[in-house]
Amino acid sequence: MKKLVSGLVTAAAVAMTAVSPAAAFDLGIVAFQMSSETHARVANAAEAAAKARGWTVTVLNSGGTMPSHVEQLETLVQKGVDGIIVAMGKPVEADAQFAEAKAKKIPVITVMSGTSPHTLFDIQVNEYKVGADAALYLLGQLNYQGAVLTQRFEGNVGTRIRGKVLDAVLSENTAVTVAGSHSMARTQSWRDDVRNGMQALLLQNQGKVKGIWASFDGQAFIIDDLLQAQGMKKGDITLVSIDGGPEAYRRIADPASLLNATVAIPFEDLGKAAVDALQAIAVDGKTKDSVTAGPYLFKDAVLVDANNVKGFLK
Amino acid sequence: MRGFIGTYGTALAGLAVFLFFVAFAPNFANPANLLNILKQVSYLAILGIGFTFALTTGELDLSFANIASLAAVATGGLIHGGHPVALAVLAGLAIGVAGGVLNGLLVTRVKVPSLIATLATASIANGLAFWLTAGVAFVGRWDKSFVALGRGSLFGVPALVLWMAAVTLAALFVLKSTRTGIHMVCTGEAEEPARLAGIRVRGMKVLGLTLSGGLAGLAAVLLAANLSSAAPGMAGDYLLTAIAAVLLGMTMFEPGRPNVPGTLVGGIVIGVLSNGLILMGADYYVQDIVLGLIIIGSVALSASTLKKAAFGV
Repeated sequence: MKKLVSGLVTAAAVAMTAVSPAAAFDLGIVAFQMSSETHARVANAAEAAAKARGWTVTVLNSGGTMPSHVEQLETLVQKGVDGIIVAMGKPVEADAQFAEAKAKKIPVITVMSGTSPHTLFDIQVNEYKVGADAALYLLGQLNYQGAVLTQRFEGNVGTRIRGKVLDAVLSENTAVTVAGSHSMARTQSWRDDVRNGMQALLLQNQGKVKGIWASFDGQAFIIDDLLQAQGMKKGDITLVSIDGGPEAYRRIADPASLLNATVAIPFEDLGKAAVDALQAIAVDGKTKDSVTAGPYLFKDAVLVDANNVKGFLK
Repeated sequence: MRGFIGTYGTALAGLAVFLFFVAFAPNFANPANLLNILKQVSYLAILGIGFTFALTTGELDLSFANIASLAAVATGGLIHGGHPVALAVLAGLAIGVAGGVLNGLLVTRVKVPSLIATLATASIANGLAFWLTAGVAFVGRWDKSFVALGRGSLFGVPALVLWMAAVTLAALFVLKSTRTGIHMVCTGEAEEPARLAGIRVRGMKVLGLTLSGGLAGLAAVLLAANLSSAAPGMAGDYLLTAIAAVLLGMTMFEPGRPNVPGTLVGGIVIGVLSNGLILMGADYYVQDIVLGLIIIGSVALSASTLKKAAFGV
């Protein structure tokens, strides 16, 4: 029995040593909600970039709730990690934890979160610009007239901003009218909610709708499937959304799909840029201003449609 | 020996896990980290003790997490709007109590099984929370006296830990030292004999569910104060973890029975595991797997009480 216990303890100690090399930069990554593909893409890219540098990485999922989020930040600060990356966090709510990290000289970089006086900076694309790109593309395809349907999601800051920018664009282009709008519920079964809501709107407005705007690609995929099931062909209705990713590019290139365009946010680049910035500042000792002068490090989002999709399919 | 292991085995296993992390998780034994763990499990313990009250009377409450979210946004909304702190706190507590009373009446008067009644109440609470907020969190630099409820400290002990201790002691007193507490236990253990003995079993069930709702209201106020924000669904994660704490608690001290010390230790074991795994660099999904294993193990050891509460068999 003694041998078994001592063997287990030794094995655990060896395993610990194997996973935690003493000299490696110890990075904590906190993603607000890993079940959201965009959060996961940032966190996974940051993890891969950090591991490629030989860093020790702890990836945490806050499960979409603030209590877990702040608990995880508190624990990483207590652990004394060398740096923290937060994907889609909430700097105002986590103000106390960020202040504690700063007091312990732990550099924190946020991604698509907003800024805090206690963090280095926030890496993001400008959601207002992203929203404007998608809205203007849709209106251009409609020649600035006709009825559209909108599929919204008010429970997320980014998608809410996109919707508000769409409203601003529509208010200046009154020949384009909103025939119907569905706001998605924040539930696990959101896909069903989108399908049911949009199905009802399409039935109500059969033959009248020229375009559909979706606040993110996941919604657009469901709408695309609905339209295809109704026998529609590419070009019958202009379908536009935002986020980007392999499935969106595949559909844009697919002649059977009705998805015309997405605004591709480079989530993987955002995660990798966070690791690069920590390398420059926390490891190489460069100043924060040498990476970005302000509270933001902006990255470009690109509108992807049939004209340039081939470049994204690689 | 078998009796000792049956009564204290889980607590000893928890102690072994604690010692393992002391030995292998960097900074785990740091006093600041240990205090952090207690702070982090405070909501879990308060909500778990509420669930313990409901389960003691033989009923399930699956609505406490959503009721807590609703109470948090009501409290947060009032604070955010510049209303008096006392009013906001009372509103949060009142919503919790009202949710509990509604559950109690549905179970005892309308005769809806608590499993169904509290799921329905949870859905209503979730809808109301989104209605109040339109999905947008109340966030801000709130009144310091309100924030102190969750972030303050007394002689170096965080306010959250003091709240947890106060709730634990009060719950222990009610269940162990008052006639009402003993009637609640009798109601849960043998409803029909309790009724024949003159105990107002329906009243006890309403009380158990009301206390569960009331403690959800208290946890909500503390959550909003600590985070200085309130969002719909913010307490949602506590449903599973608080139930897990209670189930784990039912495997120790009074095996097979919901009990306050067990719930507290169960919550602390979950907090220790979560903290220790993070410090050891375990991936995030490992925590979910461990929590699932804890629930399976606990339910296996205390299945009869749960089956009775859920299905009346």
